[in-house]
Amino acid sequence: MVFPSVEFAVFFPVVLGLSWWLMPRPRAWKVFILAASYVFYAAADLRFCALLAAVTVVNQAGALLVGRAASDRAKNTIVMATVGLDLLALGFFKYYGFFISNVDELLRDIGLGAPAPLLAVALPVGLSFFTFQAISYIVDVRRGICERATTVDLAIYLSFFPHLVAGPIVRAREFLPQLRTPRDPRDVAVGAGVVLIIFGLVKKVVIADFLARNAVDPVFAVPEAYGAPDAWTALLSYAVQIYCDFSGYTDIAIGLALLMGFIFPQNFDRPYRSLSVREFWRRWHMTLSRYLRDFIYIPLGGNREGQAKTIRNLMITMLLGGLWHGAAWGFVLWGALHGAALSLEHLRRGRTRALPPAAAWAATFLFVCLAWIPFRAPNLDTAWVFAQRLVTPGPVSLLTPGIAVAVVGVLALQLVPDRPLDLVRERLVALPAVALGSALAVTVTLVAAAVPGNAVPPFIYFQF
Amino acid sequence: MVEDQIPAPPTGRHLSARDAVVAVSVCVVLLLLFEGASIRRSGEEMAPGWERTLVLAVGHPAGALSDVTGLDGVKDRLVAWAHPNDGLSGPGGFEQAANSGSSVQPVAPVTPDAFDPRQLGQPPARPRALRTVLVTGDSLAQPLDAKVARAFASADAGVKVVRDARIGTSISQPDIVDWGRLAATQVRRVQPEAVVLFMGANEGFPMRVRGRTLSCCGADWAAEYAFRARLMMNTYRQAGAARVYWLTLPGPRDPARQRISRAVNAAIAVAASPYRAQVRIVDMTDLFTPGGRYRAAMRVGGRRVLVRQADGVHLNDTGATVALGPVLAALRADFGAQQVPG
Repeated sequence: MVFPSVEFAVFFPVVLGLSWWLMPRPRAWKVFILAASYVFYAAADLRFCALLAAVTVVNQAGALLVGRAASDRAKNTIVMATVGLDLLALGFFKYYGFFISNVDELLRDIGLGAPAPLLAVALPVGLSFFTFQAISYIVDVRRGICERATTVDLAIYLSFFPHLVAGPIVRAREFLPQLRTPRDPRDVAVGAGVVLIIFGLVKKVVIADFLARNAVDPVFAVPEAYGAPDAWTALLSYAVQIYCDFSGYTDIAIGLALLMGFIFPQNFDRPYRSLSVREFWRRWHMTLSRYLRDFIYIPLGGNREGQAKTIRNLMITMLLGGLWHGAAWGFVLWGALHGAALSLEHLRRGRTRALPPAAAWAATFLFVCLAWIPFRAPNLDTAWVFAQRLVTPGPVSLLTPGIAVAVVGVLALQLVPDRPLDLVRERLVALPAVALGSALAVTVTLVAAAVPGNAVPPFIYFQF
Repeated sequence: MVEDQIPAPPTGRHLSARDAVVAVSVCVVLLLLFEGASIRRSGEEMAPGWERTLVLAVGHPAGALSDVTGLDGVKDRLVAWAHPNDGLSGPGGFEQAANSGSSVQPVAPVTPDAFDPRQLGQPPARPRALRTVLVTGDSLAQPLDAKVARAFASADAGVKVVRDARIGTSISQPDIVDWGRLAATQVRRVQPEAVVLFMGANEGFPMRVRGRTLSCCGADWAAEYAFRARLMMNTYRQAGAARVYWLTLPGPRDPARQRISRAVNAAIAVAASPYRAQVRIVDMTDLFTPGGRYRAAMRVGGRRVLVRQADGVHLNDTGATVALGPVLAALRADFGAQQVPG
């Protein structure tokens, strides 16, 4: 079930009403919200619910055993085994085909056959998100920075439908405390929630899908057929599309949670205004970047063990971050590019004079856009052809006023100072409930009218 | 000491849970009033299951309310400006075609178009020079459409490839996209000399014909499917001026869907019979599922590679490359090796 769908439009109002009605009775509420979240997930595939339940049970068993273990060594072993099982599930469903194909190719070169059968394994929706959250739970319990939850609370944390499918990646210690006491029905950020849902719908359906249809998909499918003006149009459009698609989804997820009384962390903070790649990662998919920082980069040693190890740690973190997005060399290359850029920035820090802000912005934005090429292209060959087309003369055939307005408009909104946007937001948030509901209805109607006959394409991050 | 790290709540005015329910309820009531018929239609378009039941439980009363008040029509007029112009309001729809026939069905005449000249030992009629290839269909057409386009772009033979995949659509469910009407629109806009069509991932919907509902996958259903496919073939072949390459369905993994693909493939073969001179059936069934057995991987160039996506229906990137070979070979047989890359 995806958010911009008729099914969800029927599902959510019922769940919201019952959720607040049951909120004073925590036991009943928990059973209800758990059931609702599993129904939401079952709409994708009933069989995946078993995997979600298994991940929950395994991590709760791990947390229980950690609590009972006497020595640190035993505790660490339990955590490693639990995380290993989480990664095994992730690895099998997400990377099996990729791994076996590549090993097969390698072994064939030395005259050996495939080590295991080639299977096209179905990827359970949201797997990368809920396994990461499960790992955050068991590791934070071991670190002593998160209390062990009840099994039902853990099951709700992992399956809570607003963040189940594509994040944001909410840490256990951010969410579980919100389950301990019922949400206060007198203090609900209704305006902020509705405004986020409206913005999210517009970003996804009006902007992202429009750019995908008219500028991005045609060129990335057949880059040979286009010259530099169209290739640049497609690249800039993709930068805007992926931002609007993913941040649009996140806005809707956060907005839905707010209406139910829950607070999720922010996931995007106008990333295209960044003056360095480091800053970009503080503004882009923020819940993933802090996850990679806390669970990979810092445990590897972070920047505490000299320059060479810092660069090694940055590269490993970003390569794994790239691979997290999917089993393809394009994602690995994207991660490697970002790792290299972060390393370069680290080496330059304090040694060379900082670039003027305008030049720093331009360099960062250009780098981020170029790095999107292997991320978006279906394979590395196509990515290479696309990169060549960026410098191949050709006619302007794709750029229309609509595309220009969408790209320039979204980028301009990233660059304007905070205050005017905050003022607009505060005005909208302060509207009475009836006005907010009416605005949402008008938005849904306009968005539905803007969708062509073949319905809303899935969110990009659903595949991750 | 464990410290909770609940994120900071958003700034600005906070209301109550009652207001949250009121806001969403106002939205729901307005949508039921203005979108009731659309909700009912969406439900009817969904595949059978509990989600469809849920949506129809709301959609039927909402649709009835919308019909009575006429608010759905008012909304349609108000937001018409926002609707992308697909050009699908023209003639050629399935319903129109189905209702135009009389109840007495005469024996259809057999025309020379029913014969591929090669069957008769004669050289095929030369088609027009190839300038535009249309690659269309549902999600199955991707990424084959890009492969075809890239093959022609690399050959630099001056042939334009227009890609027009309509994801989530089907011939048996014309309420989303009426492929009869779409085919007419595509031909009018693109005027292709060759049409490559690959679809059938979403088939199996009951079809309504002259007040009857035909459920998949009996002979009645297959006959109606063949009628609709034939209508499309006739449109695409442009009175003999163009060639059509209709790809059969590789068997899906799900046994329930195998029934549907069998019926679709049978219907395609029947549909093409009057137009053998211009319509080529390109066999993907035996290529990917020999003997009707599903396989995710196959040997290509001596290597065993995955050719299907994890959903057990679609071809993956490698599979599309495999499919490209027979498609280009069929195009070359008609248009010659100078215009079609090998």
